[in-house]
Amino acid sequence: MPQLNPAPWFTILLFSWLVFLIVIPPKVLNYTFTNEPSPQNTQKPKPQPWNWPWH
Amino acid sequence: MTLSFFDQFMSPTLFSIPLMALALTLPWILYPPPSAQWINNRMITLQAWFINRFTQQLLLPLNIGGHKWAALMASLMIFLISLNLLGLLPYTFTPTTQLSLNMSLAVPLWLGTVLIGMQNQPTIALGHLLPEGTPAPLIPVLIIIETISLFIRPLALGVRLTANLTAGHLLIQLIATAAFVLMPLMPTVAIITTIILFLLTLLEIAVAMIQAYVFVLLLSLYLQENI
Repeated sequence: MPQLNPAPWFTILLFSWLVFLIVIPPKVLNYTFTNEPSPQNTQKPKPQPWNWPWH
Repeated sequence: MTLSFFDQFMSPTLFSIPLMALALTLPWILYPPPSAQWINNRMITLQAWFINRFTQQLLLPLNIGGHKWAALMASLMIFLISLNLLGLLPYTFTPTTQLSLNMSLAVPLWLGTVLIGMQNQPTIALGHLLPEGTPAPLIPVLIIIETISLFIRPLALGVRLTANLTAGHLLIQLIATAAFVLMPLMPTVAIITTIILFLLTLLEIAVAMIQAYVFVLLLSLYLQENI
């Protein structure tokens, strides 16, 4: 099977990792996403009592 | 006759340019950088949606430490799925049919997860070698078995991708040759073979995407155990 020919193995390793580390992550990281808007709560939370005094 | 079918997997050269280099560098032209505006064209929006949803789904079972791997997993997924799908075009070389490429991806990434586990939480990482509730007499045997299965993981990861894609391409070539040869002799059988070829090509498109996904998913599972 020609895939088992060990001659280009190291070159392929080197080249594939170079592409995988240098070319692709900048492309992937350039995509930006907006936050998903969350629906507003129908009930506002009751104001919590604040009992520690001003210093 | 059968041996010549493997020629499609030889690392090809054209005018002594190794086509492996072209096959590894050119597909990324299909991912143009998004513009500075919030809204892009359809293709970029779809790619962004895919990367976003995929990364979110993949990172769901991982704890915060595993989220550092998000960029790497997304890059790996894009890498594999592009190479797999583009390889289904006629006369295109598929780099992921090369065992060298798949092992060169699988072994370092798997080793990375194991080393992270051993460094940060060695007890837990080694504890995975013994499932809970094992009867006492079985413990030594089971530890040996689990260690073997641990070390087989990178091998399985690489060979799984290679074998699936190689077998798929080989089948497509065989059945296409059969349909072509049968056309003057038995046209009806040739037409049936062509229908089978069509269905097989659909299957191969699915396999291309699924195998890329399985590779990254298994890697995330190995990370989950260790981080």
